[in-house]
Amino acid sequence: MVTATTQRSMATSTLFAIKVPPSQDLGTNRTLIEIENLDFSYGPKQALYDINLKLEEKRVTAFIGPSGCGKTTLLRCLNRMNDLIDGTVIGRGSIRINGVDIHGRGVDSIELRKRVGMVFQKSNPFPKSIYENVIYGLRIQGENDKTRLDAIVEKSLRGAALWDEVKDRLHESGLGLSGGQQQRLCIARAIAVEPEVILMDEPCSALDPVATAKIEELIQELRSHFTIVIVTHNMQQAARCSDRTAFFYLGKLIEYADTRTIFMKPANSQTEAYVSGRFG
Amino acid sequence: MSATAHPFATRSARGRQLERMTFTVFRVATYFVLLCGLLVFGDIFVKGAHTVFQSEFPYVNVPFLTEAPESLYVFEHNGKKMELGDRAFRAFQSSEAARARAENRPVPRFKAESYVYSAGGIWPCIVGTVLLVVGSMTIALTLGVSSAIYLNEYAKDGPGVRFIRLAVLNLAGVPSIVFGLFGFGLFVIFLDWNVSLLAGWFTLAFMVLPVIITASEEALKAVPKGFREGSLALGATKWQTIRTNVLPYALPGVLTSSILGIARVAGETAPIMFTAAYVVRDKLPWEVDRLGDFFFQGVMALPYHIYVVSSKIPQNEYTARVQYGTAFVFLFIVALIALASIVFRNRMRRIYKW
Amino acid sequence: MPPESTPPATFRIGKARTRFFGLTLDETIKAFFGGNALMAVVVLALITFFLFREGFDFFTQNQHSIRVYREAGLEFVDYIRQQEQDHTALTRYLSDVRLRTLQHFTGHEGLTLAEANSRLEGFDAFAGRYGEAVDPLRGLVSELTEVATEIKTKYQIIEDMKEKRRQLLAEGKTAEADAVIVARVDFKTELGPLIATLPAYKETSDQFATTLRETLALAPALPTPELQKRMERFRELNSDYLVGFPVVLRQLEEWDYTKPVPAWHAFTGFIFGRQWLTASFWQDWYGVVPLFVGSLMVSAIALMLAVPLGVGAAIYISQIASAREQRLVKPAIEFISAIPSVVLGFFGIAVLGQILRTLSQFDSLRWVPGFPFAERLNALTAGCLLALIAVPTIFTLAEDAINNVPRSFLEASLALGASRLQTILRIIIPASLSGIVSAVLLGLGRVIGETMVVLLCAGNRIEIPDFTQGLVAVVQPVHTMTGIIAQEMGEVVRGSIHYRALFMVGILLFLIALLLNFLAQKIVRKYRISIG
Repeated sequence: MVTATTQRSMATSTLFAIKVPPSQDLGTNRTLIEIENLDFSYGPKQALYDINLKLEEKRVTAFIGPSGCGKTTLLRCLNRMNDLIDGTVIGRGSIRINGVDIHGRGVDSIELRKRVGMVFQKSNPFPKSIYENVIYGLRIQGENDKTRLDAIVEKSLRGAALWDEVKDRLHESGLGLSGGQQQRLCIARAIAVEPEVILMDEPCSALDPVATAKIEELIQELRSHFTIVIVTHNMQQAARCSDRTAFFYLGKLIEYADTRTIFMKPANSQTEAYVSGRFG
Repeated sequence: MSATAHPFATRSARGRQLERMTFTVFRVATYFVLLCGLLVFGDIFVKGAHTVFQSEFPYVNVPFLTEAPESLYVFEHNGKKMELGDRAFRAFQSSEAARARAENRPVPRFKAESYVYSAGGIWPCIVGTVLLVVGSMTIALTLGVSSAIYLNEYAKDGPGVRFIRLAVLNLAGVPSIVFGLFGFGLFVIFLDWNVSLLAGWFTLAFMVLPVIITASEEALKAVPKGFREGSLALGATKWQTIRTNVLPYALPGVLTSSILGIARVAGETAPIMFTAAYVVRDKLPWEVDRLGDFFFQGVMALPYHIYVVSSKIPQNEYTARVQYGTAFVFLFIVALIALASIVFRNRMRRIYKW
Repeated sequence: MPPESTPPATFRIGKARTRFFGLTLDETIKAFFGGNALMAVVVLALITFFLFREGFDFFTQNQHSIRVYREAGLEFVDYIRQQEQDHTALTRYLSDVRLRTLQHFTGHEGLTLAEANSRLEGFDAFAGRYGEAVDPLRGLVSELTEVATEIKTKYQIIEDMKEKRRQLLAEGKTAEADAVIVARVDFKTELGPLIATLPAYKETSDQFATTLRETLALAPALPTPELQKRMERFRELNSDYLVGFPVVLRQLEEWDYTKPVPAWHAFTGFIFGRQWLTASFWQDWYGVVPLFVGSLMVSAIALMLAVPLGVGAAIYISQIASAREQRLVKPAIEFISAIPSVVLGFFGIAVLGQILRTLSQFDSLRWVPGFPFAERLNALTAGCLLALIAVPTIFTLAEDAINNVPRSFLEASLALGASRLQTILRIIIPASLSGIVSAVLLGLGRVIGETMVVLLCAGNRIEIPDFTQGLVAVVQPVHTMTGIIAQEMGEVVRGSIHYRALFMVGILLFLIALLLNFLAQKIVRKYRISIG
């Protein structure tokens, strides 16, 4: 059976030039994030049209699509980072995490962001020491217990597969690290506050292939603890490290399915055109 | 062989000459400006140095820096030309009179020419200027940095913010004398603070407010957006983000550019003419009965003193000393502040690159 | 709802935050900063309000002052005085002609001074008769002046009484207040003697006209056609002058002290008034024109020097200079802006005024208009120093504008085979022109609002410079709007018309500054090249 699958996937890879991991039965996890009929606009310009999406717990979901298709916008809706941009409006619909409407009354966007972490396209370590970078989220919550912080720093850095590389220079500036290390530091910083969800906005777009491979590996490890949503431009990346893939085009969700399905036999012709590299 | 035959031959000599000549004209303009600036500095430093420095120990004319201004008396005594300050002259007169009485001579009368402010020093002016600068910069920095934080971090673009920016821009163009008039109308008359430190502080603070706001905003803008997003995404509140992740990195820039504000505050005369400056005052600012009086007293100030000694007393060898001396000290202080700001800024540009 | 979506206890994203006055801590902090940001608006509003609060009463007071001027008959007398003063101006023309004739005699004909003077005896007799002709009129004017002054004084005493009584009443001293007798000036009776002189004036004026005509007929012939032409011109001026006599008479006959002074006179008197005359025994005038012209002239001189220097330096530093030169020169020019204006003013008094005067006395520099001059402190001295203030402003802003021209423009032009100079003149400067113009406007704003330099160095003579001789006017002493405020503010009585007039000058300055700012922004916005 394994041979058959490999052969089939080999055949596909020659057609789409994309390697898809061998099929495995994913089953269905509990739905963690539920997006319903979401319309979103920047001032007069509508960016998302009627999005319906259910993201499962402890899975990696990839958002793909050409530039300006709204994937990053949707990602930033999930922890309400869009609140910080002038004139953004949720026209219709709702986003529920764990059944709680994140735009509902009594919801505090700051508390939300503590539970839904984010890693940015461009690594943005603060100009502080590595140690201070990791514990930043805890510090602002008022955590000052040194032994606890030490433990969290080690745990987070190990979690981000960075510990061995930086354990001897925890008190040096985070800006002194290489690009890939900086991005892993940002991941360590995000997981230090133990969120349920980690949003990644093209986390590897500024990195070289070696650093990218490391981050992808890391994502695989992280998925057992966190629900991960990753926006990516790179289709190989989506294919390699995500369980589910959502394809967006011009602000609309075109197709959402198993990654394997999206890349092997997409239901929609636009999806097929995109993943086979004919546009985008 | 003709040089112009091939297509890449050099341009005509005339064209090049014209270009070179034009560039020379521009260069001369540039260096002429520098020369003029140098002339002003040079004249005041060279002539002022005679007053402020001396050839014997301690090399600095300490009384000039530590005493209050006095009148200078110039007279002839026993064929010798004497120059004495007010107190010394009176002491000399009475001692001469006592000696004359003892020797049963008629009491001598000295026909002295007097020049006001030409003896003594400028200590009260230095003190006054420092007080004015410290007070007004405290007010201006509080207001200005807060405004900049609001405009850059909190405000969403809209008519309100545009109106504030317009006000800042226009405030920057208001002549300093108009600030003086305004300070006089509001603080001195309407609030009845009289000519006082407090009135001067607020007038000067409002005058530099646009400078501080603009400079602080620039410093805040230079802090990368990623610092803010990274912090917010970790669940920090806006204020936590600003306090821990924006202000610390903007502060050097804010302070550097604010030094320019200090130079402006220290250097302006017109706004304090009717709001804070006294031509002459015997008491030093801390010699007050009650603490409250401290804020409601006028002070002497270096720029105003320069105005007084250069316009209200004649130009001659006796008065030139105090004129140039005061100008020297004043220019030295202001130039030092400005220099610090320029050096600081260049260093900052090198260090803070994200 | 599916059962699995019930929130587990761990996912709590709501939080009750402490509130003050219904605001969370973060909102309170935001409100604090927002309040501070509003300060700029508040200050601008306060400036406007307090300038107007102190200055606006000027118009009522000025209108009142002009009314008293009319009611006390000062205006009546000034009609005749004007007639007398016009004659004096003509006498000055005549002495100019005499000087030229004398120069002709001593210069061209080589006569000694004594001989020349004796040749001019006829002329002098003529000039003497011409000058004396006005004497009866002058006598009349001085008599009438006394009468009018007396009325005005009487009026002022009564006004003082009124003021005293008001103060007493305000203090609650009713009895004392009642003791203050406030009389009224009956202008009609008081003005009686003044108006009664009308026949006398008419006679004097007719007599004066006859004398002038007779005298003019005797005008001596002058040696050259050029001088003769001047004499003809003098005759013309005189006939114009004589034509004006009936007009004066009509003015006097129609003059009516009860005629109301319209409110706009108080305004036009300020904006278009050609005299700024204070603490005068006769009548104070607050016309801003001499100050405005002074400010404008000094600024014009400053810009004339500063614009080429500042823009030239900006082009040089941003386009031509080496990187090393740039690093050194740029801060040095910015450093100049740190020189406090009062120090520059002192430098002007102590050094520059003298240097310029000495320079003006070199024979080789005679060709420069206005050279040589005698006044050390004048518009030129102040203008030169203001230029030094304006240069750093213009330089910095213009350099910014030039640097904002995209590099691709420069490269495109060079790639097409243009020389550096051509690129600068045809691409860089046109592309940054709006920025340069706005830099110049802001520089103008800087110099027109500058106080200490003009106060110390402009010479402070309140008079509209005499532009009839052309550019010579630049070496005349002037007074400026900023200078007058700084000079007179400390000495005026609070609330007096003079005090309010100074605030009006402040308002005018404020408005000019706002206008310049507005224009500078508008130009930048309107003509900004679209980049990208």
